[in-house]
Amino acid sequence: MSDVEILLVGGFMLAGVGLYGLLVIRNLIKVVVAMQIMVKGVLLALAAAAETSGQINLGQSMILTVIVADTVVAVIGLALAVQVRRVKGTLDVRELSELRG
Amino acid sequence: MTDLLIVLTMGLPWVGALVVWRLGDDKPDLQHRLAFVFALAAGIAALALIPLHTSDVELSIDAGSVFGKFTFVPDSLGVFLAAIATVIGSLAVLFSSDYMQGEKQLGRYYTSMLLFIGAMVGLALTGSILLLFIFWEITALCSYALISFYNDDPKAVAGGIKALIITQFGGIGMLAGALICFAYLGDYQIATFIEKADTLPSDMLTVMAFGFLAAAAAKSAQFPFHTWLPGAMEAPTPVSALIHAATMVNAGVYLLARFYPAFAGVDYWTDAVMVVGLVSALMAASMAVVAKDLKRVLAYSTISQLGYMVYAVGVGSIFASQFHLLSHAIFKALLFLSAGAVIHGVGTRDMFKMGGLGQAMPFNRNVFMIGALALAGVPVLNGFWSKEIILEHGLHDGPAWAYYGMLAGAGITALYTARMVWLVFFGRAHYETEHAHDAGPMMKVATGILAVGTLTSWLVIGLFGEMLEKSLPHHHIHVEAASDMLEAVITAPETLVALGVVLIGAVVWVIHRAFLPVGEFLAPLGAAADQDYGLNWVNRQIVQITQSLGERLRATQTGYLNWNVFGIVVGVIVTLGVLAWGA
Repeated sequence: MSDVEILLVGGFMLAGVGLYGLLVIRNLIKVVVAMQIMVKGVLLALAAAAETSGQINLGQSMILTVIVADTVVAVIGLALAVQVRRVKGTLDVRELSELRG
Repeated sequence: MTDLLIVLTMGLPWVGALVVWRLGDDKPDLQHRLAFVFALAAGIAALALIPLHTSDVELSIDAGSVFGKFTFVPDSLGVFLAAIATVIGSLAVLFSSDYMQGEKQLGRYYTSMLLFIGAMVGLALTGSILLLFIFWEITALCSYALISFYNDDPKAVAGGIKALIITQFGGIGMLAGALICFAYLGDYQIATFIEKADTLPSDMLTVMAFGFLAAAAAKSAQFPFHTWLPGAMEAPTPVSALIHAATMVNAGVYLLARFYPAFAGVDYWTDAVMVVGLVSALMAASMAVVAKDLKRVLAYSTISQLGYMVYAVGVGSIFASQFHLLSHAIFKALLFLSAGAVIHGVGTRDMFKMGGLGQAMPFNRNVFMIGALALAGVPVLNGFWSKEIILEHGLHDGPAWAYYGMLAGAGITALYTARMVWLVFFGRAHYETEHAHDAGPMMKVATGILAVGTLTSWLVIGLFGEMLEKSLPHHHIHVEAASDMLEAVITAPETLVALGVVLIGAVVWVIHRAFLPVGEFLAPLGAAADQDYGLNWVNRQIVQITQSLGERLRATQTGYLNWNVFGIVVGVIVTLGVLAWGA
C-alpha cells in the first residue's frame, strides 16, 4: 500500500471508531473522547488529501487549525461534562434527555 | 431629484416610526402629532413624485452578486400605489389621533403603522423581485402586529396569526418565483424578467405564474385564501381602513397587473385569474348580505371589490383594474373610517344594535352615504365609473358567463350596501348607549377629505390613463381620451343594464319583506354564507392535521444524544446521496 492509502485507511478506521462511539456510548466523558478520535481520523484523511493534491502547505496549515479548534471543543466539552455531573449528578446521556419533544 | 423623492417617500415613514417609538408612551399628544407629520410629509413627497413618473431605474443600490441590484423604478403603476398608501395612510393616522385617544402603547401602534406605510411604498416602487418579496413580507408582519394590537384579546391574536400564516403561504409562491427568475436569468430585475419571460422553459414560467397568483390571492384576500380578512377586523378601525381596505390588500392586484405582460401567455393563467376574481366577488358579496357585524360587511365588500379588480386583470384590462383600485381605495377608506366613527360612538359593531344613528351623527351619515353610493356604483361617484369600465371591458374582452356573474355581483353589492346603510343610520334606534356622538374633529377632517375624493377622483381618469400608457412599455395599454371614455360609459347600453341591476339590488332590500317566501327558500344558502361556505372549516381541518402530525412526529424527538447523532449521520448520507444522484 502506498502512503496515501495507509493514511486514508487509517483515517477511515479512526473516524469509524469515533462514529461508533458517538452512536453507542453513554458516558459523557467518553463521548468527548470518541469525538476526538473521530476528528483525528478526519485529520489523517486531510493529510492524504494534501498529499494527493500536492498542496502540502495548505494541508498542514488546515490540519493545525483544526487541531487547535478541536482542542478548544474538547476543553469546553469536558468542562461542560464536569458541570453536568455537578448539577445533575450523572454523566449518563440517557438520563440527560431534557430536549425530549 | 427623483431619487431623492423616492428616498423621502419611503424613508420618512420609517424615520417617523423610529422617532415615535423612541419618544416613549408618556407623551401621547406629541406621538399623535409627530406620526401625522411624518405620514403627511411622505404623502406630499409621493404626490410630488407623480409628475416625475418614468420607466427608467432612478435609484440603484448595489447589494452584491447574490442579491443583485436593489433598484427603484417610479413608473406610473408604482407611483400611484405609493401615493395611495401614503396619502390615505396619513389620513388614517390623522383619524387615529381621535380614535386612539387615551389608548395605551401608542408607540407600538404608530410604529407599526408608519413602518407599514414605508414598506408599502417600497413594494410599489422597487424594480427588483427579491426586494419586492422582502417588502411584501414586511407589510405582512406589520399587518399581523396591528391586527393583534389589542394583544390581551384572544380573538385579535388569533386573527393576526391567521392573517400571518395565510399570507406567508402565498409568500412562498412569490419567493419560488423570484428564485426561478434568478436561476434562469441571473437577475432579479422585474424589467429584465418581463422582457425575457419567453426565454424561460414554459413549465418554469407556469410555476412562476401560478405561484404569483397564489401570492396575490393570499394578499388580496381572494378565494380560497380570503378567510383571514374577516378575522383581521379585530384590528383598530383606522388600521382596517389603511391596511385591509386601502393599501395592503391592493398589493396582490398590483402584483398581477405588474407581471401581466409576462404571464398573459401562460396557458390557463388569465382564465384562472378571471375565475378567482369572479368567485371571490360573488361569494364575498353573498356573505356580506348575511353578516351582522358592520366591519365584517365592509371586509366582505373589500374582498368582493378586489375580485372585480382581479377579474379586470384576467380579461386583460390593466387600466380598468388600476382605476378601480384607485376609486376603491378612496371610497373604502372613507367607509371604514366613518364606520369607525360609528363604532367609536356606539361602542358595538353589531348592526342590529345600531339603527337610527342618522340623527345622532348627521355629518358621519352624510359621508358614509357618499362612500356607500360609490360602493354600490351609483353615478356620478368614482365607484360608478371604474366599475362600469371594468364591466364594459369584461363584456368586450372576456367570456359572457363571467360578465353576467360580475353583473349579478353588482346587484348584490347594491343590496348589501342598502341593507348596511339602512340598519346603521335609519330605521328604529336599537343602540343602548345614551351618548352616541358624532365624529371628533380629526375624524371629520379625514372623512371629509375622503368624501371629496370619492366625489371627484374620477376626474383624473384621463391623466391616469395617459400616465399608464406612457410609462408601462410592456403592458401595451391603449387608453382613449378622457372625454371619449366617459362618454362611452354614459352612452353604452351596458351601463343602463348595470344601473338597472344596481337598482334592482337596492329595491330588493327596500321591499325585502315581500320576498319572505323567497327568503325562506334561500335560507340554506344564507346559512352557508354565514358559515363562510365551509372554508373556515377547511382552515381548521388543515390546522388540526398539521397539529396532529406534529404530535406524532414528537416521537422522533427522544432527547437522547446517541439518537441525535444517528439523525445527523442519516442526514449526511442522504445529502451525499442526493449530490451523487444529481451529479
